[in-house]
Amino acid sequence: MIVDCHTHWNASYSTAGCHDPVAWLEVLDRHGVMHAVVLPMEGLADDRLIRQENDDVAAACSASSGRMISFCTVNPHWGKQADEELIRCLEVSKHRGLKIHPWLQGVSPNGRDMDRLCEIAAEHDIPVLFHDGTPCSSLPSQIALLARRHPRAKIILGHCGLYEHWREAIAAMDYAENLWGCLCGPHLAALRELLRRCDPERLLWGSDFGYGQADPVGYRLGLLDLAGAGERDRYRILVDNPRRVLGLPPVVATERKPWILRRPSPAVSHPSS
Amino acid sequence: MVQIVDAYCTLGTERETALNPADLLRLMDQAGIDRAIVAPEDREIAVENASGNRRVVGLVSECENRLIPACTANPWYGRQACEELRRAVADGGRLLVLAPALQGFLLTDELADPLLEEAGRLRVPVYVHTGPHSSASPTQLVLMAERHPAVRFILGHCGSTDYHHDMPAVFRAAPKNVWFELSLVRPWAAAGYAGLTDPSRLIFGSAAPRNHPAYELRHLSQYLPVADNPLIYGENIIRLLEGTAS
Repeated sequence: MIVDCHTHWNASYSTAGCHDPVAWLEVLDRHGVMHAVVLPMEGLADDRLIRQENDDVAAACSASSGRMISFCTVNPHWGKQADEELIRCLEVSKHRGLKIHPWLQGVSPNGRDMDRLCEIAAEHDIPVLFHDGTPCSSLPSQIALLARRHPRAKIILGHCGLYEHWREAIAAMDYAENLWGCLCGPHLAALRELLRRCDPERLLWGSDFGYGQADPVGYRLGLLDLAGAGERDRYRILVDNPRRVLGLPPVVATERKPWILRRPSPAVSHPSS
Repeated sequence: MVQIVDAYCTLGTERETALNPADLLRLMDQAGIDRAIVAPEDREIAVENASGNRRVVGLVSECENRLIPACTANPWYGRQACEELRRAVADGGRLLVLAPALQGFLLTDELADPLLEEAGRLRVPVYVHTGPHSSASPTQLVLMAERHPAVRFILGHCGSTDYHHDMPAVFRAAPKNVWFELSLVRPWAAAGYAGLTDPSRLIFGSAAPRNHPAYELRHLSQYLPVADNPLIYGENIIRLLEGTAS
């Protein structure tokens, strides 16, 4: 039961109606991924599309037999309307998390608008996943301060700092105990350090599938594989940590352990691994 | 048979770039990479320029047929930086590496002008690490390339990740003295870039050991087959080093 904690709904995968997730899920099937957090995409850049996209994502996920876990977004600058849209998404459309992309949405993680949304997220026990890794409004440290202010909220760094800020992501997770990190974006050497230095109970994995037309799932699963996570950490990152942060039911033990990824072939072994 | 040249690797001694020549050669063999440009490590790029340049030249001396030394100089050293560049090039350095985020300057700052002019006089290509910070963005490099037409620039990493939004405009605006290196660019994004510019402008790199050369090459070649793209995988960077690229 691998859980991909960072994907985006991409309507171009719909083949029979705009909310049909069959083709989208086929990509995950190819890589043995059972569940995926599905984030919105177009509404992050154009807030006129937010309400419609929130409904579209919810509809696609509701047609997935529980495999797709929908997150909504709101424009924090909307004020009270943002609160209302978030509550509608959580209570009516049954979204399971909130996605914020600070630099695309033009909002600081440390503005009052974000405080209010975090309080609502904490009250509903749903995580808030941030884009991170890019100045000037998506730094891991900025999100860490938000997390420290809202200790009841579950906050996720959606990219663990990407290429330049992964060391900052490690420091941020040290600073705020309610901050989780999604291994989705850092290069191989950074993944190794994140695995070595971060609390293994708060690491997740994601592919960013749906952002564009390419299939990055195998590439990013392979990177995690090359980074040398042990079996126990793989289980935590791919299965148990997502289950805890998302509130999924416990995993029933089976003979098969699909979270154990294929070992690197000799052709791609690394001298230092 | 396409000659594969990895345009950027680091032979480091610490942190995430620790790698010795024997292990790099093993990684290259696994990947089928013929030659690689090797650069000093981060501390050497930031502050210990001269000792780093000497160390790299020393390391590659026994495998000169496969490893090509790059050198570095921090523009904050002023005239000393120009002297170090001249010395390092005389010692064998073939490419000047600038990493503004590490070296503490903004790419468009006139601070770097004397060093870039020296690189132009020496006909040494200049590799610039770009990234999502504001010290060296792809758009800044376009401005610098226009300011220094005699300098051949390599735009490392194509602004990965978040400046990818700028790249279509950068490809259109970049003057003729700019080439684009693909390490840290997602393989599928690199394929998109190949559709936006002439293949004579793109250069393969792995950024080893931050990335795994065989793994990156395997994924990139799914989108840009090696056999179909000899320019990208080797010829462009060799021509740049030889001074025959235009």
